[in-house]
Amino acid sequence: MDQLLQLTISGLAVGMVYALIGLGFVLIWKSSSVANLALGQIVLLSSWFTYGMLVQLNLPTLLGFLLVIIFALALGWVIERIALRPLIGQPILSLIAVTLGVGYFFEGLVTFVWPANSAALPRIFPTKPVQVGSAVISQEYIWIAGISLVIFLLLTAFFRYHRLGVAMRASADDQMAVQACGIPVTKVFSMSWMFSCTVAAVGGVLLSSIGMIAHGLVATGLKSFSVVILGGMDSFGGAMIAGPIIGLAESIGGGYLSAYVSGVTDIIPFVIIIIVMMIKPYGLFGETRIERI
Amino acid sequence: MSLPCGTRNYTYAEDMAIFRTKTHWVFLACLTVLLLTLPMFLGKFWMGVANLVLITLIAATGLNLLVGYCGQLSIGHAGFIAVGAFTSAVLTTKMGMPFLVGLIGAGIVSGAVGLIFGIPSVRVKGFYLAISTIAAQFIIVWGLSHWGLTGGSAGISAKDPSIGPFEFVSDTSKYYLVLFFTVITVFAAKNMARTRVGRAFIAVRDNDLAAEVMGVNLFYYKMLAFFAGCFLAGIAGSLLAHCYYGSLSAEYFTFTESILYVAILIIGGLGTTLGPILGVIFIRVLEQLLTVQVVPALERALPMLPSGFASGIAPMLFGLVIVLFLIIEPRGLSHRWNLFKAAYRLWPFSY
Repeated sequence: MDQLLQLTISGLAVGMVYALIGLGFVLIWKSSSVANLALGQIVLLSSWFTYGMLVQLNLPTLLGFLLVIIFALALGWVIERIALRPLIGQPILSLIAVTLGVGYFFEGLVTFVWPANSAALPRIFPTKPVQVGSAVISQEYIWIAGISLVIFLLLTAFFRYHRLGVAMRASADDQMAVQACGIPVTKVFSMSWMFSCTVAAVGGVLLSSIGMIAHGLVATGLKSFSVVILGGMDSFGGAMIAGPIIGLAESIGGGYLSAYVSGVTDIIPFVIIIIVMMIKPYGLFGETRIERI
Repeated sequence: MSLPCGTRNYTYAEDMAIFRTKTHWVFLACLTVLLLTLPMFLGKFWMGVANLVLITLIAATGLNLLVGYCGQLSIGHAGFIAVGAFTSAVLTTKMGMPFLVGLIGAGIVSGAVGLIFGIPSVRVKGFYLAISTIAAQFIIVWGLSHWGLTGGSAGISAKDPSIGPFEFVSDTSKYYLVLFFTVITVFAAKNMARTRVGRAFIAVRDNDLAAEVMGVNLFYYKMLAFFAGCFLAGIAGSLLAHCYYGSLSAEYFTFTESILYVAILIIGGLGTTLGPILGVIFIRVLEQLLTVQVVPALERALPMLPSGFASGIAPMLFGLVIVLFLIIEPRGLSHRWNLFKAAYRLWPFSY
């Protein structure tokens, strides 16, 4: 029973972070219908950048985080401006492939600047264990779940009430109409990339603050695709509900099955992707696309 | 189409011929001589590279059928190659089957696995399909490195190929073996692409709904594309196991390797016969040059930087090449070659 509770709480917390990274995906998909497959590498790169700021340059934590946010914003702007802008209107295959290329480049860049296999961030959150019911868990999990939730609420509010958020939703709906209304669509695209990279960076820092910075973060970024596939690619709420489900499945399934099948934790999200694809390909809350010739 | 001036066809057979002018036949003869005598010019290292290039070409041709002609994006090709490699190794090493049985078995098993992961393609396309093939890649590699039959994380060894009493031990003999299969594959794919099946693939790629309305059986042709693509991946995997690696580990078939296959198609040109050939030569030779020549040289030249930094150069360069090709020349090297041919034929009156 203790074990179950413990696994549930850690699964929920990690799932919230997956959801956060998944939000980074949904942001871009909603505004520009581009699938960002470089998400895993962006998570990896920003985690290593955080390491560079906090450990290698030994900056104070808050200043370091500020720099990470600025870095992520700049990263999003640069990707959109250099790689995506020239490809507006190209077939979806090119759009997917270009993000793969960007991701490949980042992977090389990480090896180039930080050749070490893995590193650890300093503990950002208090590690004092707390007692929840009969289980004892580290406080960190509660912190990262809380932070993810706050960012999610902020983003939702932004999309609902802020002018730019409304513009983003509108441009997802109909680019031509939005352009006719005088909204600069390119600016909307570049803003969505900047937001997305920032969200992914925060997710990466949260994940690596409780674990390690290692190449596996790319796979973690890819795991967040299972969140968007399960929740529906164009739904914020879907991502936020699917995230904890994936996290729970991973942690509880991994916790109980690892004794029989070693290392099963890593592929549970991918198995979920395949199952969802076969049964309900547009996810729980996604919009089913009706195509016309 | 783009025939030289003055070429006329009087029979359907002439019209369908791949090699039709005298120049074509001369080029074909030169290419044949070059391919057959290549081992005389290349050293041991480049012989290995030539084998790798030819094997990769088989896999890339398969992916080209799937992505280039049928338009079903697959980013898990390395996973399907891994299935073929391990199937062949298990069949020959553990069950004592002959090499040819392993080769065909690898193709069939890979194709079957491809069918399983291709089923979502009936309902979804584009990004959704890309994601499910990524999932396939991770599931397959995980399965291969945890299953007892495939040797688990320790891997499995694959002995040198042999047909009847003849064993292919040296790199040169393996080269001729691989060359044989590569030539067959390229011609089979070319002919598949220009007959009924290929036309159906292209119709599905351009607009699958319209194709369905016109009477193309979507399920059949999408599954056929997945089977053909993954069958060739399996053949390539088997050759890779027996002729290149010798002993297998699931770590060879990474996600980045899958991206590399997509890069090969983009750089070469999607949906062309020439595209994969140019793309494979470009990517593999560049890769070998970088990892064998440039990286150690840089490591030695800049000892003050942390060790291992230079191994990041190859991925950086490949990523850059993918992005640049998509922006500047989305139709790939084969399109450049066609432009060059047209310019050459029309020269000096380019109108």
